[in-house]
Amino acid sequence: MSLEIEQFLHTERLPHMWCAGCGIGIVTGAFLRVLVRLGLRREHTVVVGGVGCSSRAAGYVDVGSMHTIHGRALAFATGIKMVRPEFTVVVFTGDGDGAAIGGNHLIHACRRNIDVTCILFNNQVYGMTGGQMSPLLGWGDLATTAPYGQVEEPFDLCGLAEAAGATFVARGTAADIEPMEDLMRLGIQHKGFSFIEAVVPCPTEYGKRNASGGVLAMLDDERARSVSVEEARRMKPEELGDKIVTGILRHDPNRPEYQRSYAAIVERAQAEAARETGQEEAG
Amino acid sequence: MELWHSHLLREKVDQSSLLVQGNRACALGALDAGVRFFAGYPITPSSEIMEAMAYELPRVGGVFIQMEDEIASICACIGASMSGWLAMTATSGPGFSLMQEAIGYAIMVEAPLVVVDVMREGPSTGRVSVPSQGDVMQARWGTHGDHPAIVLAASNVADMYRLTMAAVRFAQRFRTPVTLLSDEVVSHMRESFSPELVDRYRLTSGDFDFTPGYLNPELAREVHTPHVLGSETHPHVTGCTHDETGFPTSDAGKSEGFLRELYDKVTNHRDELCLYDMKNEGKGRVCIVAYGSCARSARAAWRLAEQEGLPVEVLHLYTLFPLPVEIIQQVARRVEFMVIPELNLGQYAREVRKLAENWTTVVGINKIGGNLITPREILDQVARLIGKYESV
Repeated sequence: MSLEIEQFLHTERLPHMWCAGCGIGIVTGAFLRVLVRLGLRREHTVVVGGVGCSSRAAGYVDVGSMHTIHGRALAFATGIKMVRPEFTVVVFTGDGDGAAIGGNHLIHACRRNIDVTCILFNNQVYGMTGGQMSPLLGWGDLATTAPYGQVEEPFDLCGLAEAAGATFVARGTAADIEPMEDLMRLGIQHKGFSFIEAVVPCPTEYGKRNASGGVLAMLDDERARSVSVEEARRMKPEELGDKIVTGILRHDPNRPEYQRSYAAIVERAQAEAARETGQEEAG
Repeated sequence: MELWHSHLLREKVDQSSLLVQGNRACALGALDAGVRFFAGYPITPSSEIMEAMAYELPRVGGVFIQMEDEIASICACIGASMSGWLAMTATSGPGFSLMQEAIGYAIMVEAPLVVVDVMREGPSTGRVSVPSQGDVMQARWGTHGDHPAIVLAASNVADMYRLTMAAVRFAQRFRTPVTLLSDEVVSHMRESFSPELVDRYRLTSGDFDFTPGYLNPELAREVHTPHVLGSETHPHVTGCTHDETGFPTSDAGKSEGFLRELYDKVTNHRDELCLYDMKNEGKGRVCIVAYGSCARSARAAWRLAEQEGLPVEVLHLYTLFPLPVEIIQQVARRVEFMVIPELNLGQYAREVRKLAENWTTVVGINKIGGNLITPREILDQVARLIGKYESV
């Protein structure tokens, strides 16, 4: 497998820029295996990143790739998908990029149900700028801009995506990478907007301030706190507390996909235009 | 009679010229130049452009999308542009401010793109339905960092058509965003217009492909031809300063080389980019330098001056940036005064003064608040300067 994934990796760009123990690389590796498994054409696959640690993954994946501006990756991806529907378009974003500065684009991409897969790496902090709090930082957690502890409620991003109309919503963790890989594969195969939250450890900027005990302990903790969607349904809200609910939270293959709906409009408008031209000639 | 949609307009062009709104003429110019993607967000006084595109684009197999804000609009346009489609967006001051970061990105990744800014009074919400020329320097320097800018200014309905086409052509050739400035009056007024009658910048084909090697080979060194998404090269596109591989570079020499190249590819082609019209060349003691709706008043002032025997030239600029250095200096050398009417507090006059002050005196006529500058106001200033005529 490792040789196979290398075809999708810019090996000349290695070593990568992520810190030791960072979970983004684990998920990016799984993403490369998904590309191999799905047998995607490199020229017709486009990865779009915003700005931040996770968005940098776009620069290591050897397909068409676009490293854009902070928060707007989904808007760029929308333009790409609308004119090149044959492309598989995947957005790599982070909890700051996707949920703070880019939050509005996220909910509108969900609402449109455009066939783009958004993989949001949630490490609870702005890693690249030195560990400031993101909207996903837990209550009471420390960050450089929350030196006395965070007193804002973190987002439930999957809940937000569901409410906004995304038709494939899932959450996985770097700790359980095989299910994570499956979720990404299913999200890409889904014809509609797929939102996948990947919970990843940031030992450097989150772990060290919150006495998380290093990356292995952080991964163990992720695993211990994970409960499946099915288990979670049987649990009371107060029991869910700091649990990470993993698996597919929503899958609705029936809602119309935006690009296809628009293609039908184009067909109708072109037929109308042709009819009018015909009438003109006849007249 | 006014026609709303371009296909109706096209049916009638051979019969007579028609009454068309400036914003509609802009949309028509875009379609004729091959624009097939438009993403926008409603804002007065530009919305009619997007309304026309929403109707027209699907009829020609194009794509229109109304995005959630102006930032998303321009980003979607850049995505479409880097996927090989000609893209355009249109907005007004507040939206133009929001787009600035992405304009810098488009410059950096060399995405061909047309941005129409229909100027209204500002700053902030200002007044939405009055003309202004307050965004001139924002169009030049709105995004951060040292960068090139191509900025055109339309003064009438026919300009809205042909300068949109010119903007598309420049954007394609130089692989950079081009800003077309209009204002509330130029965009909302109706004038007699026929696409067949205006001086066209018609392009060779409606289908454009930005794949490598599209551009004129002799420009290839100066004008980057980055690869396009979907091509065999499966490129990396980044707003980071990058080298020839397309990946970010931390090398100071390469960074400077790249940024200078971006700048030079525009300024080195000033001859080609600077569009203007000169009236009464070489016969005036005073030259009125004007653009946009003020150029209409300037032309009318020149006609009045002829009747009243005042020696006046008019330099009507269609290209504001890159600065038309040669023509401005040429005029500056021969006239005693340059009079620059503007619906701002002298934004462009400052640029002209820098170029011309060794040879001539540059005087601004400035009005903000929403009223136009009348031909008589310009002529009164001219008369005062040459001391031949006292206004009452």
